[in-house]
Amino acid sequence: MTDGPILFVAAAALLLGCLLGPRFPRLWIALTLAGAAAFIAASAHILGGGEPWEWRGGFSVGGEQLHLRLDGLSALFLALLGVVGGAGAVYSRSYWSDAQYPRSAPRGRALWSALVVSMGGVLLASNGLHFLLAWEAFVLAAYFLIILDPDSAGARPAGWLYLAASHAGTLCLFGFFCGIASRTGSWDLGPMRDNAGLAPLFWLGLVGFGLKAGLFPLHVWLPSGHASAPSHVSAILSGVMINMGVYGLVRFTGWLPVPHEAGWVLIFGGAVSALAGMAFAVSQTDLKRLLAYCTVENVGIIGVGLGAALLGSEQGGTSWGGLALAGALLHVWSHGLSKALLFFGAGSVVHATGTRDMSRLGGLWKRMPKTAALFAFGSVAISGLPPLGGFVSEWMIYLGLLGAASSRSPAAWAAIPAAILLGISGALALAAFVKACSAVFLGASRGGTSDHAHESPDLMIGPMAALAALGAVIGLAPAPLWPSIARAAGAWRGPVGPMPWAVLALGLCNLVLAGLALVAAALLGRRVRDGGLKRAPTWSCGYAEPTARMQYTVGSFSGIISGWFSWALRPQGWSQRPRGLFPARAHRFERIPETVLEDAVAPAALGVLQLSTLVRRLQHGRLRFYILYIVAGLAGLGILTAMEARP
Amino acid sequence: MSSGLNLLIGISMGLNLLALGSSRLPSLIRVAAAQGVVLGLMPLLMEHHFSWLVALTAVTTAVVKGVVIPTLLRHAMRAANIDRDLDPLIGFIPSLLLGAAGTIAAVALVRVVPLLPEHRGLLLVPGSVAAILTGFILLIARSKAISQVCGYLILDNGVYLFGLLLIHAMPLLVEAGILLDLTVAVFVIGIIVDRIQRAFDSLDTRKLTALHE
Amino acid sequence: MMASVEFIVRIGLWFLLPPLLPGIVNRVKAWVAGRRGPPVLQLYYDLARLWRKGVVLSDLASPGFIAGPAVAWVAVAGAALLLPLGPLGSLLSFRGDVILLVYLLALARFCTAWAAMETGSSFEGMGAAREVSYAVLAEASVITAVLALSVQSGSVSLARMMEPAVGSGGVLLAAGLFTVLLAENCRVPFDDPATHLELTMIHEVMVLDHSGPPLAVILHGASMKLLLYALLLVQAVVPLGGLSFPAAVAVLAGGVLAVTVGVGLVESLLARFAFRRVPLLLTTAFLLCLFALLVAWNGGAA
Repeated sequence: MTDGPILFVAAAALLLGCLLGPRFPRLWIALTLAGAAAFIAASAHILGGGEPWEWRGGFSVGGEQLHLRLDGLSALFLALLGVVGGAGAVYSRSYWSDAQYPRSAPRGRALWSALVVSMGGVLLASNGLHFLLAWEAFVLAAYFLIILDPDSAGARPAGWLYLAASHAGTLCLFGFFCGIASRTGSWDLGPMRDNAGLAPLFWLGLVGFGLKAGLFPLHVWLPSGHASAPSHVSAILSGVMINMGVYGLVRFTGWLPVPHEAGWVLIFGGAVSALAGMAFAVSQTDLKRLLAYCTVENVGIIGVGLGAALLGSEQGGTSWGGLALAGALLHVWSHGLSKALLFFGAGSVVHATGTRDMSRLGGLWKRMPKTAALFAFGSVAISGLPPLGGFVSEWMIYLGLLGAASSRSPAAWAAIPAAILLGISGALALAAFVKACSAVFLGASRGGTSDHAHESPDLMIGPMAALAALGAVIGLAPAPLWPSIARAAGAWRGPVGPMPWAVLALGLCNLVLAGLALVAAALLGRRVRDGGLKRAPTWSCGYAEPTARMQYTVGSFSGIISGWFSWALRPQGWSQRPRGLFPARAHRFERIPETVLEDAVAPAALGVLQLSTLVRRLQHGRLRFYILYIVAGLAGLGILTAMEARP
Repeated sequence: MSSGLNLLIGISMGLNLLALGSSRLPSLIRVAAAQGVVLGLMPLLMEHHFSWLVALTAVTTAVVKGVVIPTLLRHAMRAANIDRDLDPLIGFIPSLLLGAAGTIAAVALVRVVPLLPEHRGLLLVPGSVAAILTGFILLIARSKAISQVCGYLILDNGVYLFGLLLIHAMPLLVEAGILLDLTVAVFVIGIIVDRIQRAFDSLDTRKLTALHE
Repeated sequence: MMASVEFIVRIGLWFLLPPLLPGIVNRVKAWVAGRRGPPVLQLYYDLARLWRKGVVLSDLASPGFIAGPAVAWVAVAGAALLLPLGPLGSLLSFRGDVILLVYLLALARFCTAWAAMETGSSFEGMGAAREVSYAVLAEASVITAVLALSVQSGSVSLARMMEPAVGSGGVLLAAGLFTVLLAENCRVPFDDPATHLELTMIHEVMVLDHSGPPLAVILHGASMKLLLYALLLVQAVVPLGGLSFPAAVAVLAGGVLAVTVGVGLVESLLARFAFRRVPLLLTTAFLLCLFALLVAWNGGAA
């Protein structure tokens, strides 16, 4: 009953923030937080057991009656949108302040509200046309947010790439929704799984939503887009916006019939995405690019969960399918929270040092202890390590896969390779995040960039701490969350069954583990303090004059793994070796290209460009010839009509 | 009987992978020889009652594949003074993974192949397909002439395994003839290798493309 | 009440027994080499001595340098408590506890590598890089072994997975898991715990700058991990189900002893592999587990 007014308040607050935000920053924060809180409240009501909310407006927009719907599935995503949208608004207050960016900060506020409200629109829309309108609106808002910083060199090309990829995706979605509309006779959306003719549309949806979600190899826009955007924007892009693609996939595999191969394609695509994303992430030297590739991995994990759920549902609603789906949905949350936290952390580092090149950072924990601790927390969570949130969701997906394997269902042929690939990508994630944490926060400062760094203001730390706390709740208390997840999963293709006892046991284990870890660390710390503590330079096997430049660099840390994947990564390097008795400066430069973009997409695009250059010759500006074209065209049409008419 | 046979085939599958993973020529020759011996013993296990002819073939096969051919190869290797390290075109780990994938695919595909009922529980077909695949990978991925001979031997082992399905239908004379051919071929290759080495100072098959006319 | 008593007894066992294993390994190595060697209880003396000592801390080290080993120890201990002990069963068994066990060991790896990177020493960086890189391949083997056990038993909880069948699958799994044990516990041929040449080591080089109580915690954690893997290996391969309680305990202890002696023999008879050969060996371990999985899959179908 109450959801309608609450959502109306949210939309009004956000739209008002869109209008007033540029002039009144404080009011804007209040409005955005109010909107976010309203989103969360409405979602919490649905996820807490309230009836799904559905509303048909008395008026029409674009010739179609307004039809909104908030069920468990969209509520799950809407709540995440509220959390990250609110946290990012607070964070941007100090991170992208008016004092520092007098021109772009006001614009950024309006765009932020527009982005949040249009993504909310996508989640609520239950009409194909309005879905597309809201989709296009948030694509554009995100584009303008990516190029928010006029001075950033990489932002403009990254923005173009993002826009091109997004529009390719939108084109597919246009076909997708038009296909639904033409086959059902209405733009209205809802469960229609008995209409078997809709199944082939899945492939269009997969490309359209997969492009937005960043599934490998459709991820080409993602690394540069996330890396070049301002960090609070990267956080909402990576934490929420890519989840719009995931939402589309989950929503429409639930509402529409799918071809038999869908589950197989999703599970294998997801597993490859997980492995490839992490292989690229490990080798990056740019902190934010590393995080961006990690997003590709996590979307892959979600894809594996969804694929397993589809296979389970095909084979008659097995319990492992339900677990895999619940894991995938929970992973949306645990990934969204920890990825937003990590991008905020990366933003703090950029804010403090002015660089995101990890090979020039180091030793930042001394100057930014809170940021370092929160970043470490996020790293443990996103590497899927117990006792935090990322582990619980990955564990559920594993349970789904192992269930498929141990019950010897035909799906095992997909589940077994997927489980092995997930294991490998988990170990790679660990390597990537040990590397990121240690290169940025541990050891000694490498390039002098860290020497003048400062801890971020509380307005930046606060949102990070809030996200970390929420992530910890997922890890430590999964059992109380299960009913909500089950409700969301139940909105997919029907109820998923009671909570496995194992979820409760796992939460208990995590809780005990976290407690014991704190106690053990405190005890050992006290023992060290009491036993006599002496500070000295790093021993380094007795080397007398260690300098910061002797530390293991990011490139060397990931060297072994990059070597294994060099056939896919194709690293490029230039080096000048030291020569002679008194060698001049020697240097080595390495770069990991975005292989799919540079070796596949770019050549193809170049081919298209050359083809269009040929066509452009027809456009030479001479009027006589244009008239000739028209005459030729008319004549051709006439001949065609004549030939049609004759028999 | 069938479990003992399957054990031998399993060992031969393991030897396939060992061949793909070995980085030195002598160990590759040893693996090929061991596989020959293992497969040579198989007809003994397949027959329900002992027959002299089968025993004779088995022992001859084992001796030729396990002793004669490796000795020829080692002799050729020593005579031509070949560097013992293999330099693979496809790395050891990728070829191992390829071989393993091939073996698993062979085991999975065997359900599709129509077989005689007495061969249902046996791994003969997957073992043969796996060995043939391994032989091809070795032939493609290793560049030394002698390692290619080893690839050829493993390929032949695969063909031999397949032939065991037809053990009752195929006269042993054919079997013996194949064995003789094989020995002569290896003998000739040994001589050619020696000559090539003297003429070109290299045994890298990649460098022999100049001979194509 | 019983549960808490059992919890304390298990903690005590896991606290007291593990340092015995490295002692036995060293004893075997000394015996093969014809030396007298250190006493079997040497690690206990070392641990007691280290615990009483003071600590020299690098200027660069953050509190994580101390917290890392502590959390890693807790993680390994947690994994150890999840493991069923033959006839005793496990303390807490639930669906998917095996995944928790694998990931607890990964958490321990994260913490050790983190602590190693604290000092900014290039040697520790080298060790940490190797540790996390080779773990990628070892993880693939472990997950495959888990899949093999789970397919074989049709279950996903440790207590029920540890009911192996005798056969070629068991042999393959034993070989694969033993190789993983050697790699994960940084023994020869992957790493040489006896050497003092920093450039060639993995685990030892990560703890170069640790001293005093944190080093004691690290050493104890490492020995606990060795015992954990040995127990896992024995239970994954030897069927204990039909035996009486004392016989099962004896077989379990004998199995662990055999594995330990095996580690010692490998260490005496093999040289450490060149680093470029390590991935090949780990891939072999992975393939062994994969074929064990294949055998398990086919075994059930026939």
